[in-house]
Amino acid sequence: MDKKVDAIIIGAGVIGCPIAYELSKIGYKTLTVDKHTDAGEGSTAGSCAIVRAHYSTADGVAMAYEGFKYWLNWEKYLDNVKDEKGLARYMNTGSLLVKSQGHDWKKVQKNYDEVGVKYEEWDNDKIKKMIPIVDLHEFWPITRPEDPAFYNEPVKELEGGIFCPEGGYVNDPTLSAHNIMRAAEAKGAKFMFNAEVVDIRSENGKVTGITLKDGTRIDARIVVNVGGPHSFKINKMAKGVWEGCNIKTKALRHEVMYCPSPEGYDYLNDGYHMSDGDIGCYVRPEVGNTFLVGSEDPDCDPQEWVDPDTFYAGKGGHGKDNVLTEEQWKAQCYRLGKRIPTLSVPNQPKGVVDLYDCSDDWIPVYDKSDLPGYYMAIGTSGNQYKNAPVVGHMMAKLIDACEKGLDHDKEPLQYKFKYTDRSTNVGFFSRKREINYNSSFSVNG
Amino acid sequence: MQIYVCIKHVPDSAANISIIGKNSIDENVNFLLNPYDEHALTEAARIKNNLPGTEVIAVCLGKADAEKTLRSALAMGADRGILIAKEKNYDSRVTALALKAAIEHDGKPGLIFTGKESIDEGGMQTMFRIGALFDFPVATNVVKLDIEADRAVVVCELSGGITHTYEMSLPCVMGTGRGLNTPRYPTFPDVVKSKKKPVQKIAFTDLNIKVSLAGMRVIELKPLYQARQPKEIKGDATVVAKELIRILKQEAKVL
Repeated sequence: MDKKVDAIIIGAGVIGCPIAYELSKIGYKTLTVDKHTDAGEGSTAGSCAIVRAHYSTADGVAMAYEGFKYWLNWEKYLDNVKDEKGLARYMNTGSLLVKSQGHDWKKVQKNYDEVGVKYEEWDNDKIKKMIPIVDLHEFWPITRPEDPAFYNEPVKELEGGIFCPEGGYVNDPTLSAHNIMRAAEAKGAKFMFNAEVVDIRSENGKVTGITLKDGTRIDARIVVNVGGPHSFKINKMAKGVWEGCNIKTKALRHEVMYCPSPEGYDYLNDGYHMSDGDIGCYVRPEVGNTFLVGSEDPDCDPQEWVDPDTFYAGKGGHGKDNVLTEEQWKAQCYRLGKRIPTLSVPNQPKGVVDLYDCSDDWIPVYDKSDLPGYYMAIGTSGNQYKNAPVVGHMMAKLIDACEKGLDHDKEPLQYKFKYTDRSTNVGFFSRKREINYNSSFSVNG
Repeated sequence: MQIYVCIKHVPDSAANISIIGKNSIDENVNFLLNPYDEHALTEAARIKNNLPGTEVIAVCLGKADAEKTLRSALAMGADRGILIAKEKNYDSRVTALALKAAIEHDGKPGLIFTGKESIDEGGMQTMFRIGALFDFPVATNVVKLDIEADRAVVVCELSGGITHTYEMSLPCVMGTGRGLNTPRYPTFPDVVKSKKKPVQKIAFTDLNIKVSLAGMRVIELKPLYQARQPKEIKGDATVVAKELIRILKQEAKVL
């Protein structure tokens, strides 16, 4: 079944699908290939799908805030396409950033002001009124339950938080990718599943296509790597691409927990998304009235860089495979248990273990490459789900401009947002950049 | 009254279990409190609340790492713990002898709880063996329990959901089932309190248990591989719901 298209997108996740959608809208004949059985079944399925605007850079805030507009108008974004599986829902709970030593919240607030993000400042009384179950003592610094300091009595109180009413989460990240796939198909995009890429072919210094595991060769003048945690492996298949990146990506193991809400508190319907740098956790409601408890990767926690194929095969052993560890379960749930003293923590860990496609500075790479025709949207570091529709549009603009002759490395594309009155320098996401020390070097981005 | 809750440190059912050699597993996985024992601890804590002066003691025969499971039991309401430290695994006969010796050495049991089985070996023997050693009556898969002055009224669930109600003299031994209660899991303040509770460590060898020739040993463990065969039910919500009900009634037979 050898064939030819204009552009091959590797990865039908929540970022690959919008790239296919936007390229199809401007006339490119696209084929998206994915080794899984359907859209959004890779690391997208393990995403917490949180939609919040607090980032450590103004560009980061602007892109996230632009993303809000897509999620708030989901059907319009999809051009009212029908999906037999139904539509993902944006749960607009609002998002609370706790003012703490764990976040540079003053910088976030400055970024909010610069971009024009709507927000309210909540003092502790207001937080207690809105979330009656919380204890607002300061527990900083973050430690692990194995450390006796973990049990120290807190003395100081926190100083409130910043509430962003437009934030929230998407109830089904896999379905959201599927929705975008259906929207892309309505514009002519094609998708191929159970299709694992084993080679990126090139000739005369230009990309020419891909070869699949079953030997199928598909030709295209454009190939886009949106391979998620496999991105570094895919880059290594393309001649000169890996070597040409100053910023590299690799796969980081990450655990997210489900802990039941305290009895009598309807977190699913009354709760907010909350980023709490004081305890190194972020939480959002999940089905079954549970807290979905993510980690903001405090320095005291181990980081496990893994081979994605070994990981997804369930191999590698305790703390390296795709099973939650009791140590991290207790660390995250007990940290949240400090903030919510009535939270009961079951003995058996429940949650999701998946991989971040993590870049050297935790900021993504949205760029061309040293191999003409080969592009990448990688290094999403667990924090780009919310930006996916914006990235799709921006990547389509970048690819189209480069294919029409733009030297993006010399004169970086200035991307004009569709909804927010602002442009962003796409060169910010360059593979050639030096490590950006303004980054939080965490999932916070 | 002293209530002894015998608990077991078992591998997490969600772990990737791999077999080493022919008859043991790689123990570098999560271990936790046997889930049936959670019902025992919750029930013991409930009785303690109703009967002032009651003390709940968790007893565990396990390797050194089992102390953290004992700590989980303390966080769920036990007042103190006894760890019988072993270096190898024993069958249910030796386990019962060790638990009996430790309990007898420690105090005077008014009630002894175990889970109705452990999720790792599922032998369902320990409670009967403890009962026989003490000459106490035993009930298992207990789903309701009332303690009166000098007796216990228990409801036990048999296969097929049939229940039998028994009256038992005290002291007695009970294997707790899932239907007994909803486990009361610890909050962070419970965890903090539990850290101050004492855990006494006894070496298995100090109990002077005579290991006779009679016993059971695992000769071979074989993994059970079951290929998942997911099937998507297609159609609108009405069609999907009807098919789901049909499957639950006719195939799963749970409705």
